[in-house]
Amino acid sequence: MTSSHPRLELAGVSKTFGPNRVLSGVDLVVGPGEIRGLAGQNGSGKSTLIKILTGIHAPDPGSRIAVDGSPLHLPVRWGAAQRAGIGVVHQDLGLLDNLTVAENICVGGYPVSRWGRIDRRARDRLAESTLDRIGVHVSPRAMVAELTAAERAEVAIARAMRDHAPGRGLTILDESTRSLRGADLERIHAMLRRIVDGGSSAIIISHSLRELTTIADSVTVLRDGHVTGDLSRSAADVSEATIAQAMLGDSLTAFHRPRSASQDHPDRAPRVLVRGLTGGPVRDVSFEIGRGEILGITGAPGSGHDEMAGLLAGDVRPAAGQMVVDDRTIDLPRAAITSILRAGVMLVPERRDRDGLAMEMSIRDNVTLPQLAGRHRLFLNRPWQSREAGRVIRKHDVRPSRPHALVRELSGGNQQKVLLAKWLEMRPRFLILHEPTQAVDVGARREILTNIAAAAQEGTSILVVSSEADDLTAICDRVLIHGVDGLTPADAANPTQLIDQVFAPTTRTLP
Amino acid sequence: MTVQHDPEAVRDDGLSSTDTVGMQQGEMAGGRRQPRSNRVATFLSRYALILVWALLATVYCVLMPDTFMSTSTLQAIFGSQSALVLLALAALSTFVAGEFDLSFASIMGLSATIVPVLTTLHGVPIGASCLVAMVTAMLCGLLNAFFVVVLEVPSLVVTLGSASLFVGIAQMIASSTIASVSEPGFSDLVLHRVLGLPLSFYYGALACVLFAYVITHTPLGRHIVFVGANRDVARLAGVRVSAIRAGSYVAGSTLAGLAGVVLVASVGGFDPAGSAVYLLPSLAAVFLGTAVVLPGQFNPIGTFVGIYFLATGIIGLQLLGYSGWVQDVFYGGGLVLAVSVAAVIRRRVAVA
Repeated sequence: MTSSHPRLELAGVSKTFGPNRVLSGVDLVVGPGEIRGLAGQNGSGKSTLIKILTGIHAPDPGSRIAVDGSPLHLPVRWGAAQRAGIGVVHQDLGLLDNLTVAENICVGGYPVSRWGRIDRRARDRLAESTLDRIGVHVSPRAMVAELTAAERAEVAIARAMRDHAPGRGLTILDESTRSLRGADLERIHAMLRRIVDGGSSAIIISHSLRELTTIADSVTVLRDGHVTGDLSRSAADVSEATIAQAMLGDSLTAFHRPRSASQDHPDRAPRVLVRGLTGGPVRDVSFEIGRGEILGITGAPGSGHDEMAGLLAGDVRPAAGQMVVDDRTIDLPRAAITSILRAGVMLVPERRDRDGLAMEMSIRDNVTLPQLAGRHRLFLNRPWQSREAGRVIRKHDVRPSRPHALVRELSGGNQQKVLLAKWLEMRPRFLILHEPTQAVDVGARREILTNIAAAAQEGTSILVVSSEADDLTAICDRVLIHGVDGLTPADAANPTQLIDQVFAPTTRTLP
Repeated sequence: MTVQHDPEAVRDDGLSSTDTVGMQQGEMAGGRRQPRSNRVATFLSRYALILVWALLATVYCVLMPDTFMSTSTLQAIFGSQSALVLLALAALSTFVAGEFDLSFASIMGLSATIVPVLTTLHGVPIGASCLVAMVTAMLCGLLNAFFVVVLEVPSLVVTLGSASLFVGIAQMIASSTIASVSEPGFSDLVLHRVLGLPLSFYYGALACVLFAYVITHTPLGRHIVFVGANRDVARLAGVRVSAIRAGSYVAGSTLAGLAGVVLVASVGGFDPAGSAVYLLPSLAAVFLGTAVVLPGQFNPIGTFVGIYFLATGIIGLQLLGYSGWVQDVFYGGGLVLAVSVAAVIRRRVAVA
């Protein structure tokens, strides 16, 4: 093993789940002493890539992974990867609060004395030397519960690189820094820099583009399972805008919304009014949407625009806020989901697998679920259910077209069509769409956008909460950007411009 | 009780999940945060059950100065629960690893049936029948582990089914007669009195201490705790998670087998149909135990206290003249109450 080999080399890594290809030929190289950032939207394949590396998923045949030039046997056996020098810092850091620092660091490799008892002194020494190596001063005997946020992160990182030989090894931080702010974050970054200066390497996964531009030497960007950006600091192309462009922009699939003449002049009185919405990072936000109007809300990652969908639909209870839909006034902090639904407000959530659909049930059952409450109370009319499902499947072009097919068996795009159909068939007055085209293929995206535009045509007021600049510029009448100062109108003419505005210094939130 | 499998609710699931949740809640509510519990509250939450126990005993002493405050009552409380202590440890060994087993009482029943049937009906030496019973119990645990860990079937379903399966097999072996052993040497091993209490009490206490030692002082024990808290973290730290999960079922069933042997030695015979009676008290004790010493965590010392707390309550009520139904009410009520208390404590520990 000579030092000319990269620390980690992934070549042509692919992964297919049923009909869904979530990774397509991903190449990723991390050199010795390099911090490589990994960026991408939810569903872009980042977490699948890490799961392949840690042995949870088996990659498709033809994939290749090598550490320091020697190939890893695939599927990865975690023990072997660990021995080769790969360590992972868990998303939640994975520390047990009621144990000491040393106990947390040494898990998986406790030194033992005779009789198989943990050698406490040796354990504390091992923890101490590990902490020393990364220049961290925390007592190995301290309880983790008593540590500061930054110290916890340090302890978690120490565990991941405990068995690394000096100047070797690769530490993967899987969004491990997301709970850190300001000085704490800088402290961890400085520590990482010290570690890699000795020749060790790191991969850092983060939603904060600012963090990636601050700490990473190079950034790999994934979008829909493809590498869409391999940016490096030496080529001076690591910036928030270039990462965002690779993450979000995709002008090849431009879509033009069909508009009727009347829709170009939305002069009707607003149908939906939102006043003083406050909850989480959202502070005192107000806006209005006209009948048949599509409003887009976007923002930089972490700016809080993501929270808006759940707050309006009753999924997350806001601290304050009022919503008027036609003649109904809803007091959001006190409203139950059922009364919000009755007012005609419906949400197509971001996580279709978790919040949107029952994956183990059929298309028929999923599509007709919201309508059941309005039907006969005692008997379920099966023939009606099947007829209705068949009609919806044809209308939304869901494939396969069998009403009995389980949702789990469908591709991401078709699942999203089922989810959209489920709520469109309820004829909502106000439809909230959260990342409506996330992880769907190009064809499905076009059909989904067409169906959204058609619903607006019929008079539904629509809010699209999304980070996809292409979607927003393609179908929205207006786009607002959420930032620290609340909502600011954006120019919704073209995606590149929109991304520039989202990441412009004035609307950027501090990480 | 399935909270064990819910990563959000896992009792000491690392910091930042709780940290970020706390933070989000704080932000949602405009910066409101739970106050940190002070030392008095910590002390109280650690020893509350022992205080309640003392209170209960005091109330009984006042109500029945003659009957309750006697050596025989003390012996009744501390001398009768050893099989239950071992059985509760059986339940505990799956719980600490984040697993869930409902079949341990049936495994004890099977073991307690095998010993007298082999010895009395088939003339097998008592030592050999005990060995057979223990090996059978171990195999029962392996069976559970195969379905839960290898085939990944939900443990609730597997162990509910296997509980019925094991009792059925026991009844088949017993062929509806209740055989009993009368081997003085054998029962002496368990019933011989030292300082007024049967040897079996000391076995139970010793088992708890050993259990506590393994959990806190050996790499195996610490790894079990990590697996129970967060499987993913344990796996990434290089712990052999599947082996530990499977091992927890086998260790549990072996302890249940041992409980069966102790039971036969002290009582003489066993009707397998009565196995289910032992399920609830052991579960109640294990969950009560999470309120003692290490709040929010399953621990053997707490379980030990839980067992004798429940025994005190029931024997006192029996002396007051309530009988039969009182046992069911006390154990059942105790279990629900214990789980609720444990859940509340866990939430408080998680927020603080």
